Amino acid sequence: MSSSSPRDPYLDVAEIEEAEEIETTHLAERALGEQGRTRGKGGGWVTLAWGLPGFIWLGFYLVAPLTFIVLVSFWTRTDAGFVRQWTGANYGALLHPFNLSNAYWQNMLTSFETSLIAVAACLVFGFPVAYFLAMKVEKLQNQIALFIIALAPFWTSFLTRAVAWAYPLMGREGALNQALLKLHIVSQPVSAFGFSTLSVRLAMIQLYILFMVTPLFFLLGQVDRHAIEAARDLGGNWFSVFKEIILPQTMPGIVIGSIFIFVLTMGEYGTVAVIGQGAVSSVGTFIQQQVLGIQYPQGAASAVLLVVVLIAGVFVITRFANLREEL
Amino acid sequence: MTEDAVRPTEGAAGAAPSVHQGSGLDLIDLTKEFTGGVVAVDDVNLHVDHGEYVVLLGPSGCGKTTTLRMIGGHEYPTGGDIVLDGQSLVDLPPHKRPTTTVFQHFALFPHRSVLDNVSFGLKMDKMPKDARRARALEALDMVGLTELASRKPRALSGGQQQRVALARVLVTKPKALLLDEPLGDLDRLLQLRMRVELRNLQRQLGLMFIHVTHNQEEALSMADRIVVMNDARIQQVADPLTIATRPATELVARFMGDNNIIRGRLAERDGDRLVVEDEHGVRASLHAPGDARAPGDAAMVSVRAAAVQIADVDGPAPINSADCEIIFVEFLGDLVKLHLTAGGERLLVKVPGERYPALRGREGERVRISWKEEDVQLLSA
Repeated sequence: MSSSSPRDPYLDVAEIEEAEEIETTHLAERALGEQGRTRGKGGGWVTLAWGLPGFIWLGFYLVAPLTFIVLVSFWTRTDAGFVRQWTGANYGALLHPFNLSNAYWQNMLTSFETSLIAVAACLVFGFPVAYFLAMKVEKLQNQIALFIIALAPFWTSFLTRAVAWAYPLMGREGALNQALLKLHIVSQPVSAFGFSTLSVRLAMIQLYILFMVTPLFFLLGQVDRHAIEAARDLGGNWFSVFKEIILPQTMPGIVIGSIFIFVLTMGEYGTVAVIGQGAVSSVGTFIQQQVLGIQYPQGAASAVLLVVVLIAGVFVITRFANLREEL
Repeated sequence: MTEDAVRPTEGAAGAAPSVHQGSGLDLIDLTKEFTGGVVAVDDVNLHVDHGEYVVLLGPSGCGKTTTLRMIGGHEYPTGGDIVLDGQSLVDLPPHKRPTTTVFQHFALFPHRSVLDNVSFGLKMDKMPKDARRARALEALDMVGLTELASRKPRALSGGQQQRVALARVLVTKPKALLLDEPLGDLDRLLQLRMRVELRNLQRQLGLMFIHVTHNQEEALSMADRIVVMNDARIQQVADPLTIATRPATELVARFMGDNNIIRGRLAERDGDRLVVEDEHGVRASLHAPGDARAPGDAAMVSVRAAAVQIADVDGPAPINSADCEIIFVEFLGDLVKLHLTAGGERLLVKVPGERYPALRGREGERVRISWKEEDVQLLSA
């Protein structure tokens, strides 16, 4: 049994390393081979050509309008629109007073609250859906079929859904109130189901939950089932396997879904307008009011600040996962 | 339960006793029927001692992996019992069993460092952080990976991942280690080394290892005992030498390879000495005490390719020999495989590689092959 060498119970590392060297040499050769191939293809110009349509598209639809909005936000308002006269007054009006009696910041806060609620609710309700699709449905065909069915809301126009939601379903005389009345759960129609913040938020959750389900579905699908089994095998119960193995690996999906929903709901204007019917406001409707009032420079400044807030929010969200490494 | 006419179990612990008070692992009438009626494991009985290295060997779909997964708790048996040291495991979930598994593709946690992978089992055991770090580093030292403790699994080579998977299960000090094709993902050279190292590790730890593979050579080189399975059932349980030289059934003889099978009828019987003859007149004799066959009954024997001699054709072929035509001469370095036919099934002869120059290019010629009576093995169907 135990003989001269104290390292007897140990694997012979030197020998294995030697064998590995051959293994890694193969890898290195393969990697080098691939590098050689791409280099042979004419290099930078081809890459640039592939990138060009994207650059043009981004430049025309994103960079140019953004630049223009930033410029306008520093120009001076006139009754007919604006003149090219530099001023900081548009921002001054938004930033002073920097408190909640300022209508802009009040709207910002409400929108932020709506966003947080939407992100949290989409995560809470979306995770089980994605989990079921990815983990419990065994066949890939069934997974994809069910996933496409889950996407069904996107087959109809946003406006159709919002209108259907606002009047027949949620309104004061809507189906939900009628049902509750018939069942004697309430004696008076619940007005909060009408043109209210609550129904706007409910609608948003319904509209945007798929932006959470989709990335979660794909990430859960990539979680190694054998790793889950191994975790069970090593003593993990259901909860600890979820917490230690599944959740960390789905974190990038949660982050991506949260970014989608945060950005979309923060800037929301359509849902608020249709479902809130003027009884509810948001940053989006606030900016719209300014634009309708031909206060273009103020509207632009409000929009620029919103973009800044969005960027800050996205930055905070991305801190929850290292997307570059984990995805 | 119907009693089969032949239940080929040979070797020390073929059939499990019906009462299990003692130590070790017992599989008792273990059965798994999947929904849809596919029986993956059918009435398996096996006893494994602590410190024993047992290999479950068989073609894919034979039920070996399902058997292992039932021991580990990843499949639920539809019949029978699994008893470890007198305690039934059947109703315990995997995390409550004193067994751990090395999964086929290592199944490391991709988002965790090597150290966290290894200490996972201890964390689940609620061991304090410092203690589990120390234990994990100890286990990493055992497999020689201390300096890679902070890496992520994807930054490791196949062999290193294999060693992390080993360290991760050893650290929990299981009573039985279950290995599902543990060398399957490694390239051949690394596989050969890991065989020796894994076996060495098992000897030093004195742990029960149950290892599943479809690789005959791997089973022969590593096991104390081999369990050959086919079609959901155990075909033979024996030490490697017996499996290699004395296959009990046709399936074992064929699966282990390089066995010549002579299928025919019992031609003569003289006490325990039987003569089996096939339809092409090839005759083999053997001693088979206790065999109840009468002349005219179907019978089948096998002779290992390495136990067969070749010579020139000279007069009529006596018993335990056959005149054949050479179909193909296959040179394998250390040895030469001659593929022959005597009219029936293809026959195989293995001779040392030095004889290749004398055999090269002799396809189509006739030679006489012969073997010794003691190398003839009677097979069950």
